[in-house]
Amino acid sequence: MAIVKRAEERAYLTPLVGFLLLFLGFPAIVNLIYSVSTVSFQTLRSPSLSGFGNYLTVLADHGFWQAISFSMRFGILTALVECLLGLFLAIFLAPLLSKRAALMAPLMLPLMVAPAMIGLMYRLVLHEFAGPVPYYLFEWFGDSPAFLDINHAFWTLTVVETLQWTPFAFLLFYMAYVAVPLDVREAASLDGASGLKILWWIELPLMLPTLVIAFFIRFIDGFRVFDNVYALTGSGAGGSTTSLSIYIYQAFFKEGAIGKAVAASVILFLASLAVLYGLNWLAGRRRL
Amino acid sequence: MKLSRTFLPAIAALLASVAMPGISNATVTVLGWPGGSEETALRATVEAYNAKPGIADADKVELLFFNREGFYDKLQADMAAGSNAFDINLVATYSIGRYAPYMEPVDLGSDAAKTFGESVLKTMQFDGKQYGVPTDLSLHFMYYRKDLIDALMKDDAAKAKYAEISKKYLDKELQPKDPDSWTWDDWAATALYFSKQVNSGSPVRYGTVLQMKNLLFNMMVFQSLPRSYGADWTDKDGNVTIDSDAYKTGLELYKKLYDAGASPKDSLSYEYPETNAAYSSGQTATALQWNAAAADLTSADKSPAVAEVTGIVPPPAGPNGRADHIHGLGLGLNKNAKNKDGAVKFLKWLATEDAALLYARSGGSPALAPDVVAKVAKERPDLVKLGEFASKYGYVMNGATSANALSIYELQAKEFTGYWSGQQSLDDALAHTRAGMQDLLKK
Repeated sequence: MAIVKRAEERAYLTPLVGFLLLFLGFPAIVNLIYSVSTVSFQTLRSPSLSGFGNYLTVLADHGFWQAISFSMRFGILTALVECLLGLFLAIFLAPLLSKRAALMAPLMLPLMVAPAMIGLMYRLVLHEFAGPVPYYLFEWFGDSPAFLDINHAFWTLTVVETLQWTPFAFLLFYMAYVAVPLDVREAASLDGASGLKILWWIELPLMLPTLVIAFFIRFIDGFRVFDNVYALTGSGAGGSTTSLSIYIYQAFFKEGAIGKAVAASVILFLASLAVLYGLNWLAGRRRL
Repeated sequence: MKLSRTFLPAIAALLASVAMPGISNATVTVLGWPGGSEETALRATVEAYNAKPGIADADKVELLFFNREGFYDKLQADMAAGSNAFDINLVATYSIGRYAPYMEPVDLGSDAAKTFGESVLKTMQFDGKQYGVPTDLSLHFMYYRKDLIDALMKDDAAKAKYAEISKKYLDKELQPKDPDSWTWDDWAATALYFSKQVNSGSPVRYGTVLQMKNLLFNMMVFQSLPRSYGADWTDKDGNVTIDSDAYKTGLELYKKLYDAGASPKDSLSYEYPETNAAYSSGQTATALQWNAAAADLTSADKSPAVAEVTGIVPPPAGPNGRADHIHGLGLGLNKNAKNKDGAVKFLKWLATEDAALLYARSGGSPALAPDVVAKVAKERPDLVKLGEFASKYGYVMNGATSANALSIYELQAKEFTGYWSGQQSLDDALAHTRAGMQDLLKK
């Protein structure tokens, strides 16, 4: 019986493994080769192996660490704010949404806009002479902050990212919140627990796996952010808003340093993999 | 059975003719510079070419445009991959070295020199070979508000304030001058005088608008300032000279103006469109901007607040006179073109006087020889200035047509904006730029 089961498993898995090897494995192998080669646009088909020089170049590059720093700060901050706001909205709006489900659609609207378009929209909206926000600030208060100058750019980008992606966290948390069994809530309530205690001791622990997953998904997305940051500020004055993805893009296309760009992308891949393993480990511990 | 034997090949032939238009109806595909006046002019010119008698169907021209954002990156990827999706591709003075390995030189015939002049043809040459037809020339104009400057020149109290401000910020007591005879110090003093943060009585919010975003094209705008102080990328022996006094002077002047509030606070995120928006809002007294903006900034429809009061002069002078960065955009032959003969026919026609005049009348900015531009001077006065400024003040830095020229501009943009934003010292910015340029120019 066990042998038959194993054969069935193989039969089901073979197409998937074949697909992964063909469409993900092949490019991954090519990229690994490029990352240890001297290669340019002219020699894409005939790279020459040169060891781990590209990795050393990346690790010795101040710009790489600056990009890592930006990506880490941006990823953690946006994930945290999005999750807190999403959680608050999910709990606050749940009673309303249970009666008026149609309200969910407008709440999801920011997710429908491409991130690059969001970047372009805010570039216009925040422009000192063409944008409505600075216009009214000048009208009402006689001055407006420069939203995209060196002091404010990071915070502006954080707000823009948060406004776009909070609905995603909200959606996950709302689904988790309404999935908490009603009888558990009722039992706690009958035992005299207040709403706050029910939230803290019952609902949040039951929602914890979703909270953790949402945080990591948003962190990874924030960490590898590209479109809206690039559209809003480019790579920033002196590279101040260069995320790791923008760093890789610039190394690849602007510098033509293909080996260096691929080495950086391998490092990004390994870092993401480590985060995913961390998540998996956390989920495993919870099951135990 | 018989039916299927006849029917199936017929269907196959029909499908093949639909699926492979390149075989059934060969054409010349031109990959142009998307958006703006260049696209409009090219569309009109191609329409006229296709309507000419004697152009075979197989040699008719089709146009292809990518998005402007990241255009050169996509073009490089396509050309490196040996794409034959286009027969003719865009090329620019600063990217010829990068794309020449994927292109073929082209003989434009003797008419080309009569139409454009030898110096303009050179903007499309690499290693002594002609790689394209120069379709548009780009340089910079100093746009200024005639009404504001005229009022300043007539007002003695304003002149005294101007002298006081220039003494305080530039350590020189200056008097207002006609913009056509401005030095960089005169421009800086004017920019400071017309900035609310420096002079609360200024009728506009800012004296100028600097394009300081970390963007390679902004470096082209900036460099005419150090160039007029004698700057170059390398000396005659090929040594990098970016850490010269000339560059230091230019970089410091930009920072001084930005820190004093003479340019909008978010100028560090400004490029071409933001500069146009700032100037056309009527809240900025001057702007050093690309010549391509002239049509918009002097159009009563597009810039009603400033169109009637905008003057145009060349960039101000330094100790070495005036300098104006020039580069050409053009069209050249893809090495992997499917229809090379048809492509060369079109390029040769594009280099004739008739085609160049048509391109100019359609909104393009070709740099034409003096007797040719005279024929469109009435309709396009800015082209006269373009030719005049290019011939008198145009320059190309040593190494600015090398294979890594774009990367050098990128490097400068990152390091210089790092200095302007206060993230690093001037000496560090120049040292990093020097080290990077040495590496890039060696490759």
